[in-house]
Amino acid sequence: MKTIIYTLAIISIITTSCTDVIEVDVQEAAPRLVIEASIDWAKGTQGNQQTIKLSMSTPYFDITETDIVTGASVKVTNDSNDVELLFEDQNNGDYTTNSFLPVINQSYTLEVVHNGETYIAHETLMPVVAIENIYQSTENGFNDEVLEVNIEFNDPIDIENFYLTKFAVVGDLIPELYDISDKFTDGNLMNIFYEREEDEDINQTEFEPGDMVDINLYGISEQYYNYMQLLISQYDTGGPFSATPVLLKGNCINPNHPDKYAYGYFRVTEVVKDTYTFQ
Amino acid sequence: MKKLLVLCMLCTSVLFAQDNYTTSGIIKDVSNGETVFGATVYLKGTTIGTLSNEYGFYSITAPEGTYNLVISYMGFTDVSQQVTLDKDQQIDFEIAESSTQLDEVIITVDESERVNLKTAQMSVTKIKVETIKKMPVVLGEVDVIKSIQMLPGITNNGEGSAGFNVRGGAVDQNLVLLDEAIIYNTSHLLGFFSIFNADAIKDIKLYKGDIPSRFGGRVSSVLDVRQKDGNSKNFNLTGGLGLISSRLAVEGPLFKSKGSFLVAGRGSYAHLFLKLADEDNSANFYDVNLKANYELNKTNKLYLSGYFGRDSFDFGSAFESSYGNLSGNLRWNHIFNDRLFSNTSLIYSKYDYDLGINALEFDWVSSIKNFNAKYDLVYYASDTFKLDFGISGIYYDFDPGAINPTTDTSSINPFQLDFKKAFEAGLYISAEHKITDKLTAQYGLRYSSFTRLGGQSMVDYENNQPVVYNEELEIYEEGTPIGETEYKKGESIKNFGNLEPRLSLAYQLNQSSSIKGSFTRIAQYIHLLSNTTSVTPLDVWTPSGKFIEPQLSNQYAVGYFKNFKNRTYSLEVEAYYKTVENRIDYIDGSNLIGNNTIETEILNGESRAYGVEFLLRKSKGRFTGMLAYTISKSEQQTLGGSAGGPGINNGDWYNTAYDRTHDFSVTGSYRLSDRWFFGTNLVFQTGRPVTYPNGQYVYEGLSIASYSDRNSDRLPAYHRLDLSATYIPKKNRDRKWQSEWVFGIYNVYNHKNAASISFGQNRETGINEATRTAIFGIVPSVTYNFKF
Repeated sequence: MKTIIYTLAIISIITTSCTDVIEVDVQEAAPRLVIEASIDWAKGTQGNQQTIKLSMSTPYFDITETDIVTGASVKVTNDSNDVELLFEDQNNGDYTTNSFLPVINQSYTLEVVHNGETYIAHETLMPVVAIENIYQSTENGFNDEVLEVNIEFNDPIDIENFYLTKFAVVGDLIPELYDISDKFTDGNLMNIFYEREEDEDINQTEFEPGDMVDINLYGISEQYYNYMQLLISQYDTGGPFSATPVLLKGNCINPNHPDKYAYGYFRVTEVVKDTYTFQ
Repeated sequence: MKKLLVLCMLCTSVLFAQDNYTTSGIIKDVSNGETVFGATVYLKGTTIGTLSNEYGFYSITAPEGTYNLVISYMGFTDVSQQVTLDKDQQIDFEIAESSTQLDEVIITVDESERVNLKTAQMSVTKIKVETIKKMPVVLGEVDVIKSIQMLPGITNNGEGSAGFNVRGGAVDQNLVLLDEAIIYNTSHLLGFFSIFNADAIKDIKLYKGDIPSRFGGRVSSVLDVRQKDGNSKNFNLTGGLGLISSRLAVEGPLFKSKGSFLVAGRGSYAHLFLKLADEDNSANFYDVNLKANYELNKTNKLYLSGYFGRDSFDFGSAFESSYGNLSGNLRWNHIFNDRLFSNTSLIYSKYDYDLGINALEFDWVSSIKNFNAKYDLVYYASDTFKLDFGISGIYYDFDPGAINPTTDTSSINPFQLDFKKAFEAGLYISAEHKITDKLTAQYGLRYSSFTRLGGQSMVDYENNQPVVYNEELEIYEEGTPIGETEYKKGESIKNFGNLEPRLSLAYQLNQSSSIKGSFTRIAQYIHLLSNTTSVTPLDVWTPSGKFIEPQLSNQYAVGYFKNFKNRTYSLEVEAYYKTVENRIDYIDGSNLIGNNTIETEILNGESRAYGVEFLLRKSKGRFTGMLAYTISKSEQQTLGGSAGGPGINNGDWYNTAYDRTHDFSVTGSYRLSDRWFFGTNLVFQTGRPVTYPNGQYVYEGLSIASYSDRNSDRLPAYHRLDLSATYIPKKNRDRKWQSEWVFGIYNVYNHKNAASISFGQNRETGINEATRTAIFGIVPSVTYNFKF
């Protein structure tokens, strides 16, 4: 909700003043390892095929957003039975496995070794409820005249639940992420909508019949929720109503050299995947 | 024999020691009966003199004799009267505006606006509303808050941001008073305009340091704004029509000139044009100032003042928001005798904010209310000693916010953040002492106390740590709650008490120059929590208590003051050093909205600010104006403290969000003739500190930025030039109607000043880019002002 308030505030400022793209000099930090270890168990599948991506950070304005990392060793361990699972280096930054065994509420440990440094992270596989309904409407969103896609699900009562939703429009470069908690809505039927307004500045048009959207609803831990909330709120940052941006630290720590922690996050989630086509 | 004679003479001189007598009274403007604040009252040929106070009261004590008593006030003709002091007496005076204006400009800088070399008071600027009305402004809207930024030591966070910063201090460290009522948000439309209607205002005094003992509660400054009393002689209509808003003020006598009233209103109508243009978004504001007074008799006068202002925004049908200040006060001036003046005030103020998001089906309401009672006395003991003393009590009622669903189908559960109550009391005594002919001192002591009252429960944390440092992840997190303590209504949760000494000295070097030095200690008990770069209406006022300590500041200042060329020019140079203990800052990723336990998001630190300010003023002649330059630094350090860990920014000192190394501004006014006046502003400031990215990586298909140290980068420098021209058509002798046309151009060379720079991916190419948001380009305006 905070994200939405901040986004609205930013939109409001933009409509009353002028914006233009300019050249700015920024400082350059040393490259750092990035671990995108997203272990997601899609409901209705076995969840045995998983991919972990390793890369290095680059200067902010570089066209190459990231440098891939090969030759690292990637291992995930099930904390209760100490079974180690080695991910295979595909030589393109991806490390994969076909043998992952997802267990709800089980804690796992990730270990990555690269260039003589070791990185460790812990997470627990959080479950997620099923999506009750997916439908389209025009009146639910901020603008009564444009289409939006809605998902509805029942938040379990008396438990602190955290969710991540991802809406990826087929053919678009950048997905839309929302961090959700049940702080104000515990036990209720949650409604999350994704609406698109016309914006000439970014060449964005509203949804039209035929548009396809891939929808993912992840059940996540509170620690990952805090991480994603900060990541999302800082993604479009710098406006007068945004908080001072800070360095985003994930859960991948370097036990021998704490200053050389890795960016990114090791998450283990249950996810509901679906696709919706606008009528 | 000679010895006896000398002895006799000594005896006679002792026996016939002269008695001192006092003359006192009220000074008013003859044209409308407004009391005059700051008029110089002196006995010609002696060094005995004083200034009239906020209510026009003066008191002068001198040895028995006959004198020429002179009242002098810039822009007015001196009044002189022969006074025989053989008993205590009351003489009221009425002074008239000068009609001869040959080479003198109409009221640009007041006598008391120019440096008063003798008083020990420093770090203060008194501005008359007329001066502010002559400065060119954006959209033709005269703005008190924007005008004071032309003075050294005062800046703000950019166009479109509320509040102002004094000597590197935060926006919540300014005590803003409108006729003694506390105002919590000084701006309309998120900072574009101020809440002060220039037509209703009489005087403004801004203390940047050396804050007198009668003020307390905010560490950086006091902005004391006084409304006009209202014309007690004739009915008067003043107003103006502008592009964005218009104003109308009515004033007149009451009770057969024993009283007067003033009602002024202002409203914006741009939103109506937007609706016509089919634009869904709109914003508008209105405010009403009201004042009435009644003179019961020579020694008792009652005042009633009020202010009501409201802002509202509509973003299509998506969301609406409104906020506003409301204040009212009743004051009673009582003159005990020629030397003892008192004022009793009963004040109520309220600031509330609400936001409704229709799409998410909820609304959010928060407010802060206070009831204030004050009793202030001034005792004019002699011509060298004046005593101020008094007592004040403020009761606060905070409603940090309530969320309510607005429809039956809303998925939001209602939630009320805990109400917070507190009581702040102050007791002070201070003296203005003319020690020798050249040395004057002002010294005093204020004792302030603050009690956080019960009627709520507070969370208890493991190890009494609401915030803890997670060694493994190297981030700060919420502490572990282990229970709650219930505090009954009226029970004290925590109590604070502080002694605040104030001292200032002035030494007159010669007829035209002096040096001054001061020390001020102040405690601040309520804080505006804001973790955003600019203050937003969602920010919440919070009282000190179990986890939040009061801010305590010490400010040292020295200054050199000089008038030259027969008081045509004045120069003020001041250097200051200010430290603040217990300055809160927020942990990385703090979440303040809807948070009932903000103690889990903050760390206690300290801040310090130092700098040198220069102000050169020209107050006579066709061309008048001022040049202000400040070089300064404002930084803070927030260590981990009881939470452990290194603190924010690794425990290193970092720039505060309002640190501006250089701040240069020039304001000028040129009187071409009785018909035409021209004005100009030129501003140049170092850009404010920001945090920029220093790298990128990919996560979830998005390019994520990594950031440098907090506030280690800067926005580009801010600069602009404004021009204005005022045309006064010839006044028709038979009619009372006076008018003027004001033409202005804001930001003449259209410099796009970055209000903020945001970083993000271009949605089409995926490449990172920086986008600058500039609020105002070149803005021409026309305003028509009238007086009837």
